[in-house]
Amino acid sequence: MNERIIPWQPTVIAGPKQALMVTPETAKMMVKKAKRPLLILGPLAKEEPLVTHSIEISEKWDLPIVTTADTFKTYLEKGVKTKAYGVVEIINLLKDPEWNGLEGEGHHDLVIFIGGIYYMASQGLSSLKHFAPHITTLTLCKYFHSNADASFPNMKDEEWLIYLEKMKTD
Amino acid sequence: MAPKPKELKGDFWKTKDFKISIGDIIQKKETENTDEPLVSMGPTQKPSVTDLRSWDMKLLDRYEPFYSPLCDMCCLCTYGKCDLLGKKGACGIDAAAQQARIVLLACCIGSAAHSGHARHLLEYLIGKKGEDFPIEMGIGIDIEAPIMRTLIGKTPKKLGDLKEALDYVEEQMIHLLSACHTGQEGSSRDFESKALHAGLMDNLGKEIGDLAQIVALDMPKGDAQAPLVELGIGTINREKPVILCIGHNVAPGAGIMDYLEEHNLEEDLEVCGICCAAIDITRYNKNAKIVGPISKQLRFIRSGVADVIIVDEQCIRTDVLEEAKKNNAIVTATTDKMCLGLPNKTDEYPDKIVSQLINNQIEGALILDPEKVGEVAAKVAMKISKERSRTKTLPDLDEIIELAKECTECEWCDRVCPNSIPMMDAVMAASTGDLSQMQRLYNNDICYSCGRCEQECPRNIPIISMMAKIGEINLQDQKYNIRAGRGPVQDIEVRRIGAPIVLGDIPGVIAFVGCTNYPDGGEEVAKMAEEFLERNYIVVTTGCGAMTLGEYKDEEGKTLYERYSGSFEAKGLVNMGSCVSNAHIPGVAIKIANIFAKKPLEGNFEEIADYILNRVGACGVAWGAYSQKAAAIATGVNRWGIPVVVGPHASKYRRLFLGRTDKEETWQINDLRSKEVINGEPAPEHLLYAAETIGEATVMTAKLCLRPNDTSKGRQLKLNHYIDLHKKYFGTIPEDIYKFVRVQKDIPITYKRDIMEILDEKNWKPRKLPQEPSLMDMEGD
Repeated sequence: MNERIIPWQPTVIAGPKQALMVTPETAKMMVKKAKRPLLILGPLAKEEPLVTHSIEISEKWDLPIVTTADTFKTYLEKGVKTKAYGVVEIINLLKDPEWNGLEGEGHHDLVIFIGGIYYMASQGLSSLKHFAPHITTLTLCKYFHSNADASFPNMKDEEWLIYLEKMKTD
Repeated sequence: MAPKPKELKGDFWKTKDFKISIGDIIQKKETENTDEPLVSMGPTQKPSVTDLRSWDMKLLDRYEPFYSPLCDMCCLCTYGKCDLLGKKGACGIDAAAQQARIVLLACCIGSAAHSGHARHLLEYLIGKKGEDFPIEMGIGIDIEAPIMRTLIGKTPKKLGDLKEALDYVEEQMIHLLSACHTGQEGSSRDFESKALHAGLMDNLGKEIGDLAQIVALDMPKGDAQAPLVELGIGTINREKPVILCIGHNVAPGAGIMDYLEEHNLEEDLEVCGICCAAIDITRYNKNAKIVGPISKQLRFIRSGVADVIIVDEQCIRTDVLEEAKKNNAIVTATTDKMCLGLPNKTDEYPDKIVSQLINNQIEGALILDPEKVGEVAAKVAMKISKERSRTKTLPDLDEIIELAKECTECEWCDRVCPNSIPMMDAVMAASTGDLSQMQRLYNNDICYSCGRCEQECPRNIPIISMMAKIGEINLQDQKYNIRAGRGPVQDIEVRRIGAPIVLGDIPGVIAFVGCTNYPDGGEEVAKMAEEFLERNYIVVTTGCGAMTLGEYKDEEGKTLYERYSGSFEAKGLVNMGSCVSNAHIPGVAIKIANIFAKKPLEGNFEEIADYILNRVGACGVAWGAYSQKAAAIATGVNRWGIPVVVGPHASKYRRLFLGRTDKEETWQINDLRSKEVINGEPAPEHLLYAAETIGEATVMTAKLCLRPNDTSKGRQLKLNHYIDLHKKYFGTIPEDIYKFVRVQKDIPITYKRDIMEILDEKNWKPRKLPQEPSLMDMEGD
């Protein structure tokens, strides 16, 4: 089996449905197609170079940002506007089809994740997979997340950084 | 004659006068020392599976279950496997109900483990002391069994009285477990109600177990001055024969200590323990030592220090026999929960068992008699210790470097690590002679030595053995202490601080409990406890959490137990004891309701839980929860109205209880004083919350101590801490602060200007302060 699409923690495999492995090109298509995408940054996105990549990707695609855990402070200090939620809180809101979105303008149709703790992000993605059919999930981490709808594959840092760079272009 | 509340409806329960008169009657009853129940029994004596369902639904309406399936499938019956992703299973169950079912199953397992433990203890102690052995907790404790009083409606006077309560637990557990069978319950909410009941049974089972051992084994009875005992791998004298006890049941360890004392061998042998058995043995005899929490298990066994390993029940490595054989240590199993395939030698003469063990005629022994365990363990340890001391168990530092060179950088050690710690980099560094990375992972239990990396390594590199050896480099530094588990909080302490807690002057009671599945080591937990202690919170702790707190020293080399008092007071660090001592956490909340507010306990669960939820600012923190017992513990205290913050691994339990601040209707409360249903506030906001980082957990814990009943002075204090911590970890005043300001007097003076700006921005208006906030007697009740 292609090791790039075995979940990074292999026991995360939950069932027959696996994420679609995507390249930056496909990921960008998904973002372009989305009407109201949302970027969720986890605590691993507190470190460089991920901070800069995350900010630049959000700027490129005009993505509103939710920061989970205490990631908020890092972006506050960079002057980047984000909204802080616990990861379980934002996922709880996202799975509610009646929720009106971060800005009160309607629900999000694409949720993009970067920098979550792998095993916990996997659980959060599982929640959305089961209970939020109205949402598509995409992960841009360097590990394959089988519970997402679409995920980058497992990669080494060098390749992943190239992927992230590509996310900043049309 | 006292009225019978079950026959009365409506306002009767709300009247203040009634509560005061009940207090008087209880006093009279105790003075007269009669068995006749002079107190009136509330509506739910020995509640059945469905008796508290209406209370559960109130909780579940406000704190909806949040599910995160660990598996898409159900594989519990032969119709399956069934894929539940967007589909129902062959039996009709959907994914939500299946998650709740698994949660119920976990809570049943956890509750059964505690109650089975309690049954073992009770039968053993009754056999030792007799059914009539008195339950006397000393002059400071009148309410010796608050959970039992509330649920069973009786006060146990002697050991034999505990049997009725345990019978009740066992009966309930059968019904709960049966509900997990295919084709029984179909509603996720009803599964959750049952899980809450299983948690409640867990609370009661633990109380029975701890109460029995405290009185019968003369453990500290709420003693704030309980002695400091030695903790840490470095405290174990390796020159002596060493007996290691692993698990949770004190009986075999007590049998060993008794034997050593009776034969004047205390100075000749070292008795130590891992996990809660260690805590309870030191409550029995302070000469025993604590190696540490569960995270030390595999690496300490591998170190070969222990000559004899005594296992009892719960959280023991199931491959302990195989691991012990590697260094010729002798294993003795001591309970029916873990027999390990060993021959039952309970009825054999001790000397014959010793002979068979040391001559390798048997690979270990099952001995179900704690006294006999004591004799056999001591004799075997003394006979084999010298021989074993020549057994080389761990690789030398030079060998470690050579072993590390075998690494092919396949990365699978990192991938299978539950914590995703960078083990491969550490091994690669070791291959160059740099052991510092492995040492960093060893310190503070960042690696909790589960051994999955070793299982996966294609080169069979003995990573845990290497870690164990590297850990010995600074062995002398691994010497700490812990205050011996004191048991429950004394009534007199509750009288002293009940009012400041309920009014909010003491900002909260934080309980650090649970296991060591920490996302980034134990030091984070100790620092979190230190943060709250410095802020005048009361910190209580139990089990592995209590040991973790003891492993942290400040710059002067002092542990938290040396720096803070053991009293239940502001800045007090109260080690209650082992896993079963967790019962004293809801126990003290119940005591506050009874002593401070004079709420009657007997058969009165819902009123007590309602009081705790709305007025007692307590919050649990189980940062490293891993077991089914931890699931039951958290679910049990949730039913009493106590919120819990768990670490990221706990998301794998599959269910949390989360509030929604945007759904204002869920926060309505009934002010029993004015008889008005008014808009409340999200306090506490969640009932079971998983955080990703310690910063997030710290801020959330402070927030979850808010209660609708806080006075303005108390609310100021609580908000001050919430804001301080939020600024520390998030850099700002929390955006939701306006939700917790009811009137201007609630605003902390230090932050008044900033908060007023937020209030203006949010078009804030003052709200009514409830006098007696409650979820009871709401519409629909």
